[in-house]
Amino acid sequence: LNAAPGRAPRQRVRFLQAPAPGGGGAVELVAARVPVLADHPLVRGPRFRKLKIGAGHRLDVKASGVFVLGIGHGNKLLTELYNCHLTKVYTVGGLFGKATDDFSDTGNLVEKTTFDHVTREKLERILAVIQGTNQKALLMYSNIDMKTQEAYELAVKGLIRPMGKSPPIITAVRCLQFALPEFQLEIHCLHETQQYLRKMVHEIGLELKSSAVCTQVRRIRDGVFTVDDALPRTQWNLQSIQEAIWNCQLKVETELEKTL
Amino acid sequence: RGLGVAAGPPSTRQLREAEEAASVFQYAGKAARRKDRVFVWGFSYSGALGVPSFVRPDAGWKKPRRIQPTPYRLETEEKISSAACGYGFTLLASNTRDITKVWGMGLNKDSQLGFQRSRRDQTKGYEYVLEPSPIPLPLEKPQQTRVLQVSCGRAHSLVLTDSEGVFTMGNNSYGQCGRKVVEDEIYSGSHLIHQLKEFDSRVVQVVCGQDHSLFRTRKGTVYACGWGADGQTGLGHYNITSVPTKLHGDIAGVNIIQVSSYGDCCLAVSDEGDVFGWGNSEYLQLASVTETTQVNVPRHLPFKIGKIKEAACGGTGNVVLTEEGNVFVWGYGILGKGPNLIETAVPEMIPPSLFGWSDFSPDIRVAHVRCGLSQFAALTNRGELFVWGKNLRGCLGTGRMEDQYFPWRVTVPGEVVDVACGVDHMVSMVRSF
Repeated sequence: LNAAPGRAPRQRVRFLQAPAPGGGGAVELVAARVPVLADHPLVRGPRFRKLKIGAGHRLDVKASGVFVLGIGHGNKLLTELYNCHLTKVYTVGGLFGKATDDFSDTGNLVEKTTFDHVTREKLERILAVIQGTNQKALLMYSNIDMKTQEAYELAVKGLIRPMGKSPPIITAVRCLQFALPEFQLEIHCLHETQQYLRKMVHEIGLELKSSAVCTQVRRIRDGVFTVDDALPRTQWNLQSIQEAIWNCQLKVETELEKTL
Repeated sequence: RGLGVAAGPPSTRQLREAEEAASVFQYAGKAARRKDRVFVWGFSYSGALGVPSFVRPDAGWKKPRRIQPTPYRLETEEKISSAACGYGFTLLASNTRDITKVWGMGLNKDSQLGFQRSRRDQTKGYEYVLEPSPIPLPLEKPQQTRVLQVSCGRAHSLVLTDSEGVFTMGNNSYGQCGRKVVEDEIYSGSHLIHQLKEFDSRVVQVVCGQDHSLFRTRKGTVYACGWGADGQTGLGHYNITSVPTKLHGDIAGVNIIQVSSYGDCCLAVSDEGDVFGWGNSEYLQLASVTETTQVNVPRHLPFKIGKIKEAACGGTGNVVLTEEGNVFVWGYGILGKGPNLIETAVPEMIPPSLFGWSDFSPDIRVAHVRCGLSQFAALTNRGELFVWGKNLRGCLGTGRMEDQYFPWRVTVPGEVVDVACGVDHMVSMVRSF
């Protein structure tokens, strides 16, 4: 970053002494544009000595996926994006038959149960109930008076969202794969933590009269940023970072304008 | 492990061995069946919820519960196939061949729950029944007849059986029980249950309005009896009818597949998807065809909203469900489209996104609609229950006491199969997960 060509040094007008066009010895002042010495690279030093990097929504050690970082001015955009309260999408993988103390497959075993009575239909029924109760929570925490016409119109469009602090709310769940004992869900949620998602997998197991642990939590979308925009480990270099920022700028601006 | 081995944190191999050696618990086998349950909510002091501890708590320090704001499970001995809520009382019926087929609870001041012999005085009956109590029906073949459906009105009830016609009980001051009106009859503590058998074919649906009764037969004809001052009997006059009489008007010759009524307005749906209405029209229920406030002959309602599958009538508002799964409301009151829509004579559609339809789940549709006196209920094909309307004494079951101006989910632990709405309470039949 420091090797990139920086700002051109400022110019100023100085009156320099130059030999007069007439006879020798007499000097006259001539106006000339000279670069300011204070802007010389050797005087100024490297342009960037530290970078302010801020992190977006938290991602667990055991989870993976899209993690948004802001650099410099981007930190302010991060705060604004946080206030937009956009949903995040996760793919959560689960395994039936075990229950552990920290709800993931690396924890201490608490119980083993049978799971051959579990079918995809039963799982989808439970998911429908989860969606239903969370839909209610969505409307309740949005702090809009339910008796107004405006609340009705927002509810019709599906735009009611809690715009302040609220407990984790799940806006949509879908079963992507189901192959006993494993299953995979796609969850759209707000204000959640990854441990809450693991706990949800455990509770789904309990509802189905069996037990389940969470094997994988992967965030595939965080507001406007998807996996396609994200940079994998091999691409953590300046060129790709600059390109990624450039590509996302438009999306971020439109989203902020829409919401705020 | 011997005494000479140091004890440290368990290694991976030890953990794995311990895990494999752990015993497996079985909570539900492959043949685990889904259980059928009944949930009740609403006003409890009349006994209509069937939970005696709400009215008379079993411990001295407990307070009586006047309103049950969220669904509460009611333990029943048999699987309940049909339920109906009247004005302060409830009837539950089972499809069984046992002797006890119908249970009733709530108000019994007009013997709408039959004669419930009091234990303190064997000659008198109970005026308030707090628990689901069996109703003795005078069946000829009690171990073969099955009860198909029950229906409740303001102070009378109808029980439909498969081979022995319709049994009616309760108040008959307007002939709504289908028998001759007796002057100064005392209905409280009465043993009389009347049986109706003379219809042109087997009766397949019975509906109670506030003080009138409607019977729909297999051939698609509709019979009515009871109070007619608003024209709700549809017989062409405004008098009382005490014998079930066939309706004509626009439904003569039409095969009716569903009838509905709860207040003083009635709706009938034909097999071709047309809807017919008669009765009270003071709240613009029939204003699309006539300006008069009482209509005593069934009239066809020319709505261009598609083929209609089901209709439900409330006290002041009506709701229909079309074949595509759209819900249309009209009438007066809280119709479900926000606080601004108070009355309309033309049906207005409730957007399906309020019932959970979205791009994420596009195959959700409303499967049934039901009406209470000033509330509406809709059941989706996923088994979710949505209610809206006036929240009289907590009858909506949302957990709050405020009126609900657009459809709101009721959290029930199970898949809702059917719901019956009353004036201030509701009963739902639910299958567990």
